[in-house]
Amino acid sequence: MHLPDKLKKLLSGLEYILLLVVILLIWTIMEKRGSLNTVIMPAPSKILETFVKLVRSGQLWNNLLVSLVRVLKGYLIAASLGIVLGILIGLFRHLNRLTDLLIQIIKPIPPIAWIPLVILWFGIGEEGKVFLIFLGGFFTILINVVDGIRQTDRKLIEVSRSMETPFLKHVALLVIPHSAPNIFTGLRVGLSSCWMCVVAAELVSSTTGLGYMIMNARQFGQTDVVIVGMLTIGVLGKVMDSLLKVVEKAVIRWV
Amino acid sequence: MEKNEFIKVEHVSRTFEEKEGPLKVLDDVSFSMEKGELTCLLGASGCGKSTLLRAIAGLDTGHEGTVTIGGKPVLKPEKTRGIVFQEHRLFPWLTVEQNVAFALNGVDKKEKKQLVQKYIDLVDLTGFEKTYPRNLSGGMAQRAGIARALVNQPETILLDEPFGALDAFTKIAMQEELKKIQKRSGVTTIVVTHDIEEAVFLADKIIILSARPGRIKRIVEVTLPEPRDRNSDEFTRIKRDIYGEFFE
Ligand SMILES: Nc1ncnc2c1ncn2[C@@H]1O[C@H](COP(=O)(O)OP(=O)(O)OP(=O)(O)O)[C@@H](O)[C@H]1O
Ligand SMILES: [Mg+2]
Repeated sequence: MHLPDKLKKLLSGLEYILLLVVILLIWTIMEKRGSLNTVIMPAPSKILETFVKLVRSGQLWNNLLVSLVRVLKGYLIAASLGIVLGILIGLFRHLNRLTDLLIQIIKPIPPIAWIPLVILWFGIGEEGKVFLIFLGGFFTILINVVDGIRQTDRKLIEVSRSMETPFLKHVALLVIPHSAPNIFTGLRVGLSSCWMCVVAAELVSSTTGLGYMIMNARQFGQTDVVIVGMLTIGVLGKVMDSLLKVVEKAVIRWV
Repeated sequence: MEKNEFIKVEHVSRTFEEKEGPLKVLDDVSFSMEKGELTCLLGASGCGKSTLLRAIAGLDTGHEGTVTIGGKPVLKPEKTRGIVFQEHRLFPWLTVEQNVAFALNGVDKKEKKQLVQKYIDLVDLTGFEKTYPRNLSGGMAQRAGIARALVNQPETILLDEPFGALDAFTKIAMQEELKKIQKRSGVTTIVVTHDIEEAVFLADKIIILSARPGRIKRIVEVTLPEPRDRNSDEFTRIKRDIYGEFFE
């Protein structure tokens, strides 16, 4: 009989969503009892209604797409540059010493603090936003990759050395696979910070995107739209992270 | 070059600079080996066996004295010397086949495939070509490591306690396997071990090292007929003799 197994699965599935359901329940009850100021905190039902409306009008989809494309552009640049530079810095001790201090100083500056400079440099066009998103992901990815490369197992390096392995093969078959878990950690954390930066980037004065949708709705006191926008960002971030996890599992098959 | 001096270890000493002061691990070790010979380095844990083997491999060059192989001083690792480490050191992300193939450079695809298969068959891992190291038993992983060290057809193979982590049954089977492979290929072999019986079974020559700092205590030539019978009187006598070097 597989019933107990199935039951277990069902129960752990329920456990996974339990907290969310409870919060929604309390939220609804509070609204029904009139103890919620619906101007600043609309009820779940109202949010759902607004969500459907925004989906129907295409407004949500359009803004989402715009934000998504921006994130992907910034992220792809951050990921490719982060990985390539990370590998080089991780491999060559001198390059590491040369760049370390600069990276350590620039890394803690939050992307938002770059906004004034970005406006001066890029104006209010698309490039500035992509650049901010890039900044959001780049350092996280870079640092994780460098760490991973530098931690390459000395014992395996000896094996490779004892076989006089050509450098490129050494990098491709030992150094990179060994740091694959770190690279993926960087890619995942980096993606989530890129995604967080999209709102900041769309503050740079934008007339499209989820960030814009939220800021614009705030001006008109449409808290329901604000919350729909926020939740969309949250859910999409989670979906993207899950997708990357799937890719990671498919790539790192050996553990 | 004289016949009996393919590998020459001359006055090798090694001191590690530790925080607590210098630690002398090897003290004036000298010996030589013929081509095709199997020598065991026998000694207690910590006496510097791995350190000596690393010097011969060219992985460690911080020692005094010289190591020459085939008339050439050893200054760095070379692919003419296969190494089997104390731990199997397979790459977890490569299958058995890929791990063995990793040792081959500049060999064309077809030849590579043949060589890899030949050595996988030789160590009895046929059927496990596509297996990842995590799915191998300790003995199988060690055998894959041996195949990887042999696939380059090196002149010399250096094994550091290759069977130390195995159970008694697997160990005996592997010792017989190694002996067969070594006799068939004629590869000059050094096996580090702290197992007296293993040394007597495998070696043409046993180099007994004293406790730290490792010095050569005695060199025993083993001339037992092949195949060696672990239970023969002569085998037991040599074992007892060597045993006496460690425990008075
Ligand atoms: N790189 C190193 N730095 C400092 N000390 C070292 C280093 N390598 C080895 N030692 C020390 O040298 C001594 C001998 O080590 P070695 O690994 O050669 O022993 P061993 O005979 O192989 O022992 P075992 O049978 O346990 O493997 C030990 O005390 C060890 O701590
Ligand atoms: Mg050792």
